Amino acid sequence: MNRIFIAAAIAAAFVVPAFAQDKPAASPPPSWQQGKPQGMSESTLHPFAIEVTGKAAKDLPINKLKVPSGFKVEVWAEGMPGARTMAQGDKGTVFVGTRQLKEVYAVVDRGGKREVKTVLKGLDAPNGLVFNKGTLFVAERGRITRYDGIENQLDNPPQAKVIVDNLDPNNQPGHFWKFLALGPDGKLYFNIGAPGNIVMPTYMEASIMRVDMKGTLETVAQGVRNSVGMDFHPKTKELWFTNHARDWLSDDLPNDTLHRVSRKGMHFGYPYCHQGDTPDPEFGKHRSCKEFAPPALKLGAHIAPIGMRFYSGKMFPAEYQGNIFIAMRGSWNRTVKQGYNVMRVVLDDNGKVTKYEPFLTGFLLDEKADPPMWGRPNDVMVMKDGSMLVSDDQNGIIYRISTAK
Amino acid sequence: MALAIAFSFPAAAADPNVCAACHGERGNSTNPAVPSIAGQPTQFISTALYMFREGYRKDAQMTPMAAQLSNAELNELAAYFSKQPLVPPRHQASADNAKSGPELAKKFNCTQCHGPQLLGLQQMPRLAGQQLEYLRAQLRAFKSGKRADLDGNMTAAAQALGDRDIDILADYIAGLAQQ
Repeated sequence: MNRIFIAAAIAAAFVVPAFAQDKPAASPPPSWQQGKPQGMSESTLHPFAIEVTGKAAKDLPINKLKVPSGFKVEVWAEGMPGARTMAQGDKGTVFVGTRQLKEVYAVVDRGGKREVKTVLKGLDAPNGLVFNKGTLFVAERGRITRYDGIENQLDNPPQAKVIVDNLDPNNQPGHFWKFLALGPDGKLYFNIGAPGNIVMPTYMEASIMRVDMKGTLETVAQGVRNSVGMDFHPKTKELWFTNHARDWLSDDLPNDTLHRVSRKGMHFGYPYCHQGDTPDPEFGKHRSCKEFAPPALKLGAHIAPIGMRFYSGKMFPAEYQGNIFIAMRGSWNRTVKQGYNVMRVVLDDNGKVTKYEPFLTGFLLDEKADPPMWGRPNDVMVMKDGSMLVSDDQNGIIYRISTAK
Repeated sequence: MALAIAFSFPAAAADPNVCAACHGERGNSTNPAVPSIAGQPTQFISTALYMFREGYRKDAQMTPMAAQLSNAELNELAAYFSKQPLVPPRHQASADNAKSGPELAKKFNCTQCHGPQLLGLQQMPRLAGQQLEYLRAQLRAFKSGKRADLDGNMTAAAQALGDRDIDILADYIAGLAQQ
C-alpha cells in the first residue's frame, strides 16, 4: 500500500491551514476547524459530543416526539451509549454499531422486553453493519470483517475474519468511519470519506467503494465528501446514498445531498463542485460544475443526513412503499440549527423526487440554542414486521415507529 | 453532611461522600492539586468519569474509583455534583497575570470552547476558579501528551502554549470568580 501512503502524504500537503491565528505554525487546529476562513475566526460554532454514558429515557422529553397521524413512536430500547447503525439478524436480534466508541450491541426482544448486551468491544469505530445469512459484517475505520453464526453465540461471539483491511493506512483523522450496505451483487458497499473538511482526497478517498467476499476492492463512485447512509432501490436495484457537504463556507451553502448512482464512473464533484452547482472557492477555480453529476435532491445545508433506507416493509400504508427515509442528525456548523429529524423522500416511477417532508420530529428544542436539541437521530432501519427503528446516538436510545392501533 | 439527592444505589459505589474525601465538601476542593467538581457541567463530569473507567485517562486515585461504576451511577454522580454550588475561589492572581490572562485566554482559544467567562458547557469543564496546581498540571499534561481528550481538541490547543503562558493562564484562571 505504498502508493496510498505517498498519495496521502501529497494530499496532506494540499491542506491549507486557513485558520487565522497568531500562534506557531507547528500546532494544527482541530480537524473540525480545517477550512475555516479568516473572516470566521470568531465563530463559536462547534460540534457536539455524545453522552458517552448514555442518557435515560426517563430524563428526556420523549413526549415531544411527533409522527404523522396513524403512526405512533415510543422508546424501544436504551442503555446503548453511542447507538448508531442498526442491522437485524435472521432471528430478530438487532445489532447496533457505534462510531465514537468501540462497541457493537445486540438487542434481543424477550416477550416485549428488550435485553441489551455488548456483543463486540475494542473495535475501531464499528459504524458499518450488515447482517446476511447468519453472518454479521462490521466495517471499522480500517477494515471490514465478518462474524459467522454470531446470532447463536451472543455471549461468546466468534473471532472476526477479515475481508479487507488497510483501509486507513495512516490512521489519520478524517471521515474514515464507514457505513455498510449489501448490494444485489452480493458485494459490500461502503464509503471512504475525505481526509478533512475541504482537502484534495486521494483516488481512494471521498468515494463509494465495494468489496467482494474475497477482498477485491472496486470504486463505485467518486467526488463524495462523506456518505454515511446508503441503500438500494427495491425495484431498480440502483444505489442511492446521502452525502455531507463541506463546512465553513456559509450557513446556507452548500446543501447536504442525496445521490443516485445510475452508471459506473460517476463523479459527484467534491472537492471542486458542491451540490451540483456551486464551485468551491479554492478547488473549483479552474473547473466547471458541468463536469460532474448533480445530486438527486438538495437536502438542506448542515442538516447531517446519515442512515437512509427505502421502505419496503409490510406495515406502513401503501403510499409509503418505496419511499426513502433519512435520519438527519442535525447541524453544528450553522448559526440557526436544522435537522434533528427523520425526513421522508417520495420518488416517482422514474426516480424523480416528488415530495420531501418531515416524518419524525421533536428532537429540536431551540434552533438558536447551544445545544439546540435533546436527541439526534442517526439511523433508520425497517424491522421484519415493517415497523421502523430510529437510533439516537446522542443518548444511546432506539425508538420504534409503528402504525397506531 | 446532608445529601441533596436521594441515591437509588446502596452506599459505597455511587456515594458522593466518597468523592468528598479528596474533592472536598460537596465537591469544593481545598487542595490546590485536586480539582473542584462542584457546579461542573453534567456532561463533563460523566465524560470524565467514563474516561477514567475506560482507561482513556489514568490516575492512581481516580482509576480504581471509577472502575466499578455503571453508566447509571456515573450519570447520578454527575447530576449531583453539577448541582452543587461552587465556593468562590480564594486564590488571587497577580496583578500582571490578571491583566495579561484574558488576552492569552482569547489568543489560545480557551474562550472559544470553554465559554467567554470560562464557565464551561456540555462536555467542556468550567475552568474559572479551578485549583491552581491542578490547572497547571493539566495544561502541561495536554501539551506533553500525557493526557488527551476524546476528540483531540485539547491536545491541539495545548501545543501552542509555552511554559510561561501556562503559568500565567493557570494563575489568572484560578483567580477568576464565577460571574
